[in-house]
Amino acid sequence: MALVEAGLERPGLFARFTQEHLRVFFFSLGKLGKGPIAAALTALVIGIALALPAGLYVLTRNLATVGYSWQDSLQISLFLKDSVSSERGAAMARELRAESDISRTEYISREQSLSDFKAQSGFGDALAILQDNPLPAVIAVTPQSRLGKAGVEELAARLGRLPEVDLAKLDQKWLERLYALLDIARRSVGIIATLLGVAVMVIIGNTIRLDIEARREEIEVMKLVGAPDSFIRRPFLYAGFWHGLLGGILAWILVAAGVQSLSGPALALAQAYGSQFQLSGLPAADGFSLIAAGIVLGWAGAFVTVSRRLSLIEPR
Amino acid sequence: MSSSAPDIIRFDDVSYRYPGGKDVLSNVGFSIRQGEMVYVTGPSGAGKTTLLRLIAALCRASRGQIVVMGQNLSALKPRRIPLYRQHIGLVFQNFNLLYDRSVFDNVALPLVVRGYAYADIGRRTRAALDAVGLLGREKSLPLTLSGGEQQRVGIARAIVTKPALILADEPTGNLDPEMALEVMRGFQRFNEAGVTVMIATHAIDLIEALPHRIIHLEHGEVTDKMPVAASRLGASHGAR
Repeated sequence: MALVEAGLERPGLFARFTQEHLRVFFFSLGKLGKGPIAAALTALVIGIALALPAGLYVLTRNLATVGYSWQDSLQISLFLKDSVSSERGAAMARELRAESDISRTEYISREQSLSDFKAQSGFGDALAILQDNPLPAVIAVTPQSRLGKAGVEELAARLGRLPEVDLAKLDQKWLERLYALLDIARRSVGIIATLLGVAVMVIIGNTIRLDIEARREEIEVMKLVGAPDSFIRRPFLYAGFWHGLLGGILAWILVAAGVQSLSGPALALAQAYGSQFQLSGLPAADGFSLIAAGIVLGWAGAFVTVSRRLSLIEPR
Repeated sequence: MSSSAPDIIRFDDVSYRYPGGKDVLSNVGFSIRQGEMVYVTGPSGAGKTTLLRLIAALCRASRGQIVVMGQNLSALKPRRIPLYRQHIGLVFQNFNLLYDRSVFDNVALPLVVRGYAYADIGRRTRAALDAVGLLGREKSLPLTLSGGEQQRVGIARAIVTKPALILADEPTGNLDPEMALEVMRGFQRFNEAGVTVMIATHAIDLIEALPHRIIHLEHGEVTDKMPVAASRLGASHGAR
């Protein structure tokens, strides 16, 4: 086109980009500041929508921690035949410790089993009636934690075939159940997060749509002076960015507050079970991911809406 | 293309029909040379606004060919329309200002759209405001200005990019006669500086005060008839 330029040098692409984005960054923030209540309500709705899956995520993380801490104390109990002498038992415990799959072993003699049982069970007097010590000697084997479930089972089966061993017992059914539950919970977090993520996009899209309707004339004027769609779209995308950012921060705060209010009761529960367990909140990295998710969803929701609505607005 | 200055606008057999079916313009052909000042006249509904909208690529001709600044508008991709429109200054009867922004921001908008440096934008915007005599009002909001002043803000916005072509649709329609003449003189000054100016107007008295070439439309066609002033209509009735 044989066009007469305005007689001004345009700055380089990078300078234009920086200047324009800085301008819109503050312009959209100012717009938000002009309607603080509306902005706060939008942020609250988005915050709650993001906090729900994030809270569930924290819950499953904590349950998983509980599970792992119990798995560490997972032991294979080798009940030894009565014919095995206590010297042989102790020697066997030392031999087993040398195996690469085993991290610790402890030999508990029949006498020690009996005294432990007396001390812990409260049935001491009843046991005193018995002539013989009914309890077997036990080697408590702690497998290396790197062994998976299958590895531990295999180890237990192998140890159970040793001639001195009467029975190798591995009780982990409840652990399997816990893991199955955790798996369900994790998957629920994924589903809920997806659904609520879509909800966040819709919420922000709707906010932006109202904003677009309110600024219809402004958009028409922009089109009249030759503003490309990208230019008109930008303030709305930044509005989505701000909504998402505020919602994400609020979600983090909500989750932290929830963890805070639950940590007291959780600690009491853990202590009742004699556990050192402490409720952990959202780690900083996940918190920032939460905010990033808010920003991405906000931006995307705004983009979808504004791209669709913008083509419907033509200068009259 | 035979004359000294090249054509800046050329209509060849252009028709425009509303989606409803009524022809607004039919077989319109004319050309305007670079640096001309032209009035588009005709009764309401004759197609003046549509003519300007076609040139500004606000709508597309149903038939015929329009070439503006060397660009064939029927070949203009929608994606390229904003860039094309940046090279035309548009002025409207109802001003079309952004009422929540200052006078300065309104006038600066076309420059911001094009991404000039702020220092340049400030200088150029003040120059445009100076040209319409509003330099002192740059911080005001448009609604605190009179109609004439608002229209001058609109004009400043149209000239701030120094376009080669200014299209004005009834720019004096909402102004009192004195203000209207002042605005028209302003357009004439830009024209003297080399800008091609095309004004759709009813204001016969202004045309007579500042005579330029006239394209007269009636029922969507270019005619040789001339617009008639209201005073003369009254006279002919009186002479009955």
